[in-house]
Amino acid sequence: MSSLAANSIILYLLVAVALVMLGLYGLLVLKDPIRRLIAINIMGSGTFLTMIAFARRQDPPDPILHALVVTGLVVAISATAFALRLILAARESREAATSGSTEAEDE
Amino acid sequence: MNDALLSLVTPLVAALIVLTGPAMTPRRASVVVLLGSAFSLAAALLALQTVTASGATQTLNLGGWEDGLAIRLRLSPLSALLLAFTALIHLLAGLYARFSRFASGDDFWVLSAFLHTALAALWLSADLFNLYITLELIGLAAVAMVALSGPKAYQAAADYLLLSLAASMIYLLGVVFLYSEYHTLDVMQLASVSADSARTRLALALITAGLMLKGALWPLHLWLPAAHAGAPAAVSALLSAVVVKGPLFILWLVWTEVAPADLAREVGPMVATAGMIALVAGGWAAMRSPYIKVLVAYSTVAQLGYALMALGLLMSWQIPQMHIALWLFVIAHGLAKASLFMAAGEMQGTLGTRRLTGLRGATQTVPIAMFAFAVAGGSLIGLPPSGGFLAKWVLLEPILSQPQNWPWAFGILLGTLVSAAYIFRVVVLAFDRATINPPDTRPHLMGHWLALLPALIVWGMALLGEQLIGLLAGGGV
Repeated sequence: MSSLAANSIILYLLVAVALVMLGLYGLLVLKDPIRRLIAINIMGSGTFLTMIAFARRQDPPDPILHALVVTGLVVAISATAFALRLILAARESREAATSGSTEAEDE
Repeated sequence: MNDALLSLVTPLVAALIVLTGPAMTPRRASVVVLLGSAFSLAAALLALQTVTASGATQTLNLGGWEDGLAIRLRLSPLSALLLAFTALIHLLAGLYARFSRFASGDDFWVLSAFLHTALAALWLSADLFNLYITLELIGLAAVAMVALSGPKAYQAAADYLLLSLAASMIYLLGVVFLYSEYHTLDVMQLASVSADSARTRLALALITAGLMLKGALWPLHLWLPAAHAGAPAAVSALLSAVVVKGPLFILWLVWTEVAPADLAREVGPMVATAGMIALVAGGWAAMRSPYIKVLVAYSTVAQLGYALMALGLLMSWQIPQMHIALWLFVIAHGLAKASLFMAAGEMQGTLGTRRLTGLRGATQTVPIAMFAFAVAGGSLIGLPPSGGFLAKWVLLEPILSQPQNWPWAFGILLGTLVSAAYIFRVVVLAFDRATINPPDTRPHLMGHWLALLPALIVWGMALLGEQLIGLLAGGGV
């Protein structure tokens, strides 16, 4: 495996920046929590792609960055699972509150 | 270093015992976690003593790998002090959660022990990626703790989690850019090689934005009131007292060590201005809030403004007084805010209302909790001889000595005025004995006294003032 040419690394970096921007835009504009979670994951993909692209600047590829990406993926997956459960629980509790007759607000 | 590691591992062991121990009732869990906090506090104090006696920062490469590959831990007087502070707050909040009548949820114990571990790891880390991991651990534990107040807090917890995840991603992207330029993640190595370049600036901007969002620093604070006000009282106390200080610590680390000094000098005034605006805007929102806990939560936004201001002035002037002022603020605010949230929780539980107007006559119906609120509020305002006064005095001294710095002093005075306004708004209502809001239940005095405890400690800080200043005067780390 040889190191990638500078041009193609720049191409990968541009794609990564586009992904991060897309995710950030989604996070700011979208309202639905699951869509926002997906937006955050797209941002995460952009970040990880940046790391992998930087790793390929040398031959052999930088193992530290690879290790960081693997760690980051583990964190992202667990956090996403937790967020999904929490979002669903929030939705259920909201539906229960609206259907549950005239449950008064606190006060 | 061994004492510090012990202080880090103890809460983790306590959490694992609670999780796996046979027949673990909430009562037993509370005993295990409280013992863990007390032990961790003792270990942190020992570490503090050794590190100040030797006067040198100690480092440890995890796993014995060489520099650059290893995750480095570092014990400085400041990190030892923060370890002790975190353990103390956890102990106080734990005692309150154990003896107050208003439940914090059975899972409070294991989560608070995990939170304690993650925070301790944060204070000891000197590696930007490891700091990212600790930030995520803190975020996950904190979100789960917000959700402890039951289904009505799930929405706030979910919003908090999403923002926290996004903030860490932005921070991580900044860290990656720094790595791509300097090929190291170690704070001490970065400090010696970092230079002013476009990529460094971009990286620092991303790191700063991510951390400001995580730490609820103005203008990225909007998520804080819902999350902190929605949680059970003991959890709100932990969140406001220590959790928001984690990102602040990393911000301080990045700007005083990693960033080139000239760049820090350039950005400093902007950070200090953001702090000043936070003071006024947060204070104004607190003053107008109709709910007790939301008032206290906005006051966190405002008080973080002082810390941000001290950080900004530290960056632009690079004088050790600002370093002292910054960390004194962090500790004084942590103790006072823990007290305020616990007192607010006790009062709203006993009086059966979340509204501020329900506090009419609180000096008669819940006198001890109200006293705790007023005493802790006094420290936030900065009345002498509280810890808040000490911090503000150290902050004001260098500002007042130079006439060209007086605009900053004006900001601090304005902030003090606003803090006084929102604290006295509560106190005045509490003294209104003409139209008393009768309590729903008989006050449960133990919780009230425990809410008072941190407030008394923050007033006692003045007695330790000289030692604390001497400890922090080592400057840098």
